[in-house]
Amino acid sequence: MTETNKAHKTNQRTTQKSFFSSWWAHVRAALGFSLKRLWFNPLSTWITLAAIAIALSLPTGLHLFLKNLQTLTNDQRQIPTVSLFLKESITEEQAKDRAALLTELNEIDKVVFESKENAFQKMRNLTGFGEMITSFDENPLPHVLVVTPNLVLTGEMDGMINNLTKKLKSYPEVDSVQADVEWVKRLGDIIMFAQRMGIVVWVLLLLTVLLVVGNTIRLDIENRKEEIDVTRFIGATRAYIRRPFIFGGLWYGLFGGIISLVIVHFSLLFLIDPIKKLSASYGSHFTLTGLDFTMTFYILLISSLLGVIGAWVAVGRHLRKNEVVL
Amino acid sequence: MIEFHKVSKQYPTGQLALYNVNLSMKAGEMAFLTGHSGAGKSTLLKLIAMLERPSSGDIIINGNEVNKLKNKHIPPFRRQIGMIFQNHHLLMDRTIFENVALPLKITGLHHRDIRRRVHAALDKVSLLNKQKENPMMLSAGEQQRVGIARAVVNKPTIILADEPTGNLDPELAQDIMYTFRQFNELGATVLIASHDHGLIEHMQARTIVLQKINA
Repeated sequence: MTETNKAHKTNQRTTQKSFFSSWWAHVRAALGFSLKRLWFNPLSTWITLAAIAIALSLPTGLHLFLKNLQTLTNDQRQIPTVSLFLKESITEEQAKDRAALLTELNEIDKVVFESKENAFQKMRNLTGFGEMITSFDENPLPHVLVVTPNLVLTGEMDGMINNLTKKLKSYPEVDSVQADVEWVKRLGDIIMFAQRMGIVVWVLLLLTVLLVVGNTIRLDIENRKEEIDVTRFIGATRAYIRRPFIFGGLWYGLFGGIISLVIVHFSLLFLIDPIKKLSASYGSHFTLTGLDFTMTFYILLISSLLGVIGAWVAVGRHLRKNEVVL
Repeated sequence: MIEFHKVSKQYPTGQLALYNVNLSMKAGEMAFLTGHSGAGKSTLLKLIAMLERPSSGDIIINGNEVNKLKNKHIPPFRRQIGMIFQNHHLLMDRTIFENVALPLKITGLHHRDIRRRVHAALDKVSLLNKQKENPMMLSAGEQQRVGIARAVVNKPTIILADEPTGNLDPELAQDIMYTFRQFNELGATVLIASHDHGLIEHMQARTIVLQKINA
């Protein structure tokens, strides 16, 4: 390699290094400057952050509500059961054998054997049935197997229950099959509706965040119009002018997101006790769960991105529209 | 070197600010630009600094046809030019040091170099002892000198001044002009728009007269 080539390569490396260090110096300065601007304008900063936080906490709260609702419906006791009414000729032993065989099937979680004597006794204890039952000479009830399918509440649940019902009906011991899926279907529909509502709320409120940040940055640009013009005429690039505003948007989004998480967390703490009491009254151990790490990360990421996009749009619009006016 | 070839500038409102201007200034020359109000002095300076684009004609600065510059090349071009205004456009929420340091920060210079060069520029305009003060604390003449320090701190090859002594008393105005003369002696091309004929005669430099267009 000749001396000239070596010198050229060294120069290139130096230029690249100095470009990077100058870029990094600009980024650090813009980060610090944008934070300072927020700190020294506390009133407008807090108003903007509160607006962003409230707008974000509503869809976050709704998401949490739906998540908890799904947890509730995934509770094993809430999954629909399929009752197999066995033929009259089937003995208790045969019924228990069939129950054991059914338990081995993948699509079945558990099978509970309900003897006809037990069922008869239960019915007799029920108000209004007692006298009617005693009029029978012998027990008219069959042995019953109560099957709990191995499934969670998904859109495919209906089909799965139908298939299982058909399969169970084909066993020689089974007289009739009864699956109580209506209420679960209804609940699934309600959840789907709520999820769609959630998406609409998310979109509208995220748009609100975008507009709040965009408008705040636009006002900031108006206040600093002369500064922008001065920096432009002394040779600042668009990226240099844009940077502090973009970081401003980032801080608004990020801090707004953090405050919204705090709001949601405290609302959750406020609701935990009454929910616990309410679910206990229904014999459930259901408790509210909060946001996991992934969701927390996504909310902060989305809020920060919205802040950046809002600021980018506002400052880009200003730079395109306005030439230097001095 | 500054060259104008048949340059015209018409604003979107229809106002014709310059018509068919031909001009040539050598590198290192000092000249005054005079003419009645509305003759287009400020427009001509803005065309040199690429704060405006000409409607027709060619502008050549330091060998580059600047009217054909792409937008992305304008910021580096502007760094070669120091511009001073009558109302100096200082940032009142920054110190004098920060105001003068602004063009250097934009170029991404190391803070040690920034400090050294800002001190040198402030020393040249005799304001080094006021670097930590706010521009609002200074007199009009001192504010103008801060504007000059900011314009020259980047060592521009061309210095443009638009009525730099408009608000100043004659003694201060003369001081400012001598400051420009010093920068010119250091090699910068200096073009000053002014209608202060007494001052221009006193400085004994070339005078370019712009005639008002009767549209």
